[in-house]
Amino acid sequence: MRTNFSEAQLADPEIAEANQILETCVHYGFCTNTCPTYVLTRDENDSPRGRIDLIRRMLEKGGPPDPKTVHHLDRCLSCLSCMTTCAVKVDYVHLIDRARVHIEHHHRRPWPERFLRGLLANVLPYPRRFQWALRGARAAKVLPSMVPSALRASLAMVPEPKRLDTDILAPGVYPAEGQRRKRVAVLAGCAQQVLNGNINRAAIRLLRRHGCDVIVSAGVGCCGSLTLHMGRESDARVSARAAIAAWTREIEAEGLDAIVVNASGCGTTVKDYGHLFARDPGMAEPARCVAALARDVSEILVDLGLAPPAEPKAYRVAYHDPCSMQHGQRVTRHPRELLRAAGFQVMDIPEKHFCCGSAGTYNLLQPDMAERLGQRKADHVASTDPDIVATGNIGCMMQIGQYLGRPVLHTVELLDWATGGPCPPALAGVPLREPAEPNQEPAPDIPVVNDGGGAANDVGVW
Amino acid sequence: MRIQEARIEPFFAEIQASLGSEGINRDPETLRRYGENTMPGGDRSPVGVVYPASTQDAQTIVRAANRHGVPLYPVSTGNNIGLGSRSAVHPGQVIVDLGYRMNRILEVDERLAFAVVEPGVSYQAMYDELVRRGNKLMLDVTSGPPQGGMIGNALDKGAGYTPYFDHFGFACGMEVVLGNGEVLRTGDGALDAGNLINWHTSKYSFGPILDGLFTQSNYGIVTRMGIWLLPRPPAIRSFHFAFPDDDDLEQIIELCRPLKLSNFVPTLFRVCNDLYLCGSEGENPEYRASGGKRSISDEGRRALRESHGVGAWTVSGAFYGPSAEALEPQIKRVRDLFCQSGKARYIAHEEAEGIGPLQVAINTFSGIPSVGELGLLKWRPGGGNTWFLPGTPMDGKIANEFQRVCRKVYEDHGLDYTVMNVCGPRFARGLHVITFNREDEDERRRADDCYRRMSEEVARLGVFVGRAPLDYHEFHMGQAMASFREACSGIKQALDPNGVIAPGRYGIG
Ligand SMILES: Cc1cc2nc3c(=O)[nH]c(=O)nc-3n(C[C@H](O)[C@H](O)[C@H](O)COP(=O)(O)OP(=O)(O)OC[C@H]3O[C@@H](n4cnc5c(N)ncnc54)[C@H](O)[C@@H]3O)c2cc1C
Ligand code: SF4
Repeated sequence: MRTNFSEAQLADPEIAEANQILETCVHYGFCTNTCPTYVLTRDENDSPRGRIDLIRRMLEKGGPPDPKTVHHLDRCLSCLSCMTTCAVKVDYVHLIDRARVHIEHHHRRPWPERFLRGLLANVLPYPRRFQWALRGARAAKVLPSMVPSALRASLAMVPEPKRLDTDILAPGVYPAEGQRRKRVAVLAGCAQQVLNGNINRAAIRLLRRHGCDVIVSAGVGCCGSLTLHMGRESDARVSARAAIAAWTREIEAEGLDAIVVNASGCGTTVKDYGHLFARDPGMAEPARCVAALARDVSEILVDLGLAPPAEPKAYRVAYHDPCSMQHGQRVTRHPRELLRAAGFQVMDIPEKHFCCGSAGTYNLLQPDMAERLGQRKADHVASTDPDIVATGNIGCMMQIGQYLGRPVLHTVELLDWATGGPCPPALAGVPLREPAEPNQEPAPDIPVVNDGGGAANDVGVW
Repeated sequence: MRIQEARIEPFFAEIQASLGSEGINRDPETLRRYGENTMPGGDRSPVGVVYPASTQDAQTIVRAANRHGVPLYPVSTGNNIGLGSRSAVHPGQVIVDLGYRMNRILEVDERLAFAVVEPGVSYQAMYDELVRRGNKLMLDVTSGPPQGGMIGNALDKGAGYTPYFDHFGFACGMEVVLGNGEVLRTGDGALDAGNLINWHTSKYSFGPILDGLFTQSNYGIVTRMGIWLLPRPPAIRSFHFAFPDDDDLEQIIELCRPLKLSNFVPTLFRVCNDLYLCGSEGENPEYRASGGKRSISDEGRRALRESHGVGAWTVSGAFYGPSAEALEPQIKRVRDLFCQSGKARYIAHEEAEGIGPLQVAINTFSGIPSVGELGLLKWRPGGGNTWFLPGTPMDGKIANEFQRVCRKVYEDHGLDYTVMNVCGPRFARGLHVITFNREDEDERRRADDCYRRMSEEVARLGVFVGRAPLDYHEFHMGQAMASFREACSGIKQALDPNGVIAPGRYGIG
């Protein structure tokens, strides 16, 4: 695509990068039908190439963007489905991030929006504040009319106390069981610890059981993902800088084999720290080192090889690929392989390339679109008739759980359970069908398989 | 075109009254985007887009178009990228985008192994549904966009690579809104009854086979179609052979023919040249240096082959069976045959899984939609892409002569010869990709000229194209004998007397 930036504009490295990205888009249009917002609205400005054009015009013009542009860019989920399909590999993620920063700097949002965004950016990344905020929100739920309208949609998302399992981890070392095979740091995360502490507990138990010393490093808080995707790049850099400093100390002291992330939205950001600090001479190198060590928890477990399940539980597990995992990190094989190795029957969910509508803070900021996507995803999940639903990102767990009306588990909770850990708390009291007999037949020899029908093929004879 | 005077506003007012505002889109951005394509001839803006939600809506649209003399252009999933994208034959037509609201899988019969779909059902959606149902049935897919769909593809005579490769051939039973607004059911569906149990199981029924009329034509809008599905084989093992020289094509074709005539190998053979495979892995490394003026050098091609582990030609095929072990003897048989002359290098299934472009082949043989091959289009910058789709008999000498001719035309135009021969028993379709920089006027002109020159050259050899980009429909119709042209016009006159459906598509009407 031809662009029209002035020399002076191109002297800004951020604009120069955006220009390069814009120039790669040739408007083939493979992306449109994979973009969730376009599929729902058929509005070209809600499609990837429409947005790319809006971004081009906004950056070329400079200064305050028009409200229409802001509206359509705000509606982008940053799900990156378009990047998976793009034939010319337009680096959309860095373009939309740049656009969000531009909007943040040059656009004055109406006050309710400013208030909500400010609140989210200053609360979610801080577990203690988030914990207090949830308490406050529960109180406010009793008197919804007292709550500003901008906050009502967010209020509806506040989980019931019985669904909360807050467990904010203290820094420390959790030693390997048996012989040590790896020394890994785990990103304890921010909001996730408040919403579901069992994810970290299960991940740590699993990693220890598989021979890892697990370190929760002091000084690591939010990875910066939440604020980065709201266009608050400087806030994101502050969080990321702290995490990089803490892990660098760890690397320099006793070394790290990996930095394990169990919320894939965070994983995508940590793996991209190199880009976030590319133009910061003091930080570029440590950021690159940290990024190179980052692994989704499923990747490291595949490396380690999952211990045989204590007692295979052949439940039907519908596995949802978080966008950050499938489109951001391209990790789709590992969780399925692990769940199968643990004895579960793993089922793909139709339209798996689509976002569930969670997308960081999207479901709080764009509740209408998020609701449509959440319901659509929940319907697809239900269509697979699962016993259990699993995924790899807390945001998706909350969002799908809300529309499905039943808990969604993290992959590590199931793997931990299968290899000797306790039953995940979310399954307590949930009636499960008697699992099928463990499958004795060899898995069919095809790359992607749904286990739902079993290996028996009753249609043809081969 | 017998359209008197298009009365656009009353047409849209009528559509608005019946379909509501959900059914129309006339935003300037929408018009621009629906006009975009990748071909040398430029974009063509429609005057509006309409979104039917049912066959009745499609009838309403066609009847209103007849009343007001408005030309329509139906698309299903609209992923015909390289052949026209979603753009209409001429500017000023109204796109009937069936995919937005008519995208239901109406039926899957697991015992008789067929599905019935609306136009918007994509390969990906159908695949997902079959997986959801336990993955017992396999859909034949293209190696193109997963968001393309069965109806649009079959109507353009598209094809895949499994035994059910012939997408029109394995389609059974259509519902069509004719140009005069009437609804036609083809095949056994023509019975005037409500319980049509053979509509999607028997292609041959009473009277003439009308289904073929709706491929590569403009006689109606297809709103429903049956497709046949293959029971998914428990094991799929691919095999691949790399050959070092361009002229090895002669030997390859001679090797493939008997294996297909006896159907010993159940899939088609994908016989790809080096650039067809390496092209999806990155941009032409010599493009920037030559400013796109020259074809890639032989040394450049050799280097690419080495770095990607493929040959000047690479042959791919696959066997289906109960287990990988059961297929070993068959693989050995093919391997012995191909390696006899000493030129072929065998690439086993596991090795091929690690080579991106060969993984694409494995996916197609396995009925799995994937995006790997789309990367081919970034071989040159600037977004120009058009397909040239002739074919040759499965005769090694003829096929080789043919590659020499086409290769030379590409080179004369400073473009890069990129082709996959898809080989069946008697015929090989040559999928030629012309990638070019559409933003470079000279290169755009060369691409256009290259296409036309090749068409003329192959016509001289007695070969017609099997499918064509929109830019060249009229040109190719001009290559046909007069009585063929007249027959096509006569049918148009009978089924769409006011010429409202896609006037000009495939050079008709
Ligand atoms: C890298 C690459 C690889 C490819 N590989 C293959 C391949 O292996 N095999 C292959 O066949 N193609 C291939 N293609 C070409 C093409 O992308 C596909 O054929 C694609 O499926 C066509 O788009 P669609 O299915 O969305 O059809 P659409 O765009 O919906 O339809 C195609 C045309 O058919 C007509 N039409 C559509 N629906 C209707 C209807 N309901 N009634 C009347 N007329 C209608 C219209 O004129 C329309 O323009 C490839 C393309 C690329 C870029
Ligand atoms: S990131 Fe997702 S929502 Fe945004 S343009 Fe791409 S596909 Fe659409």
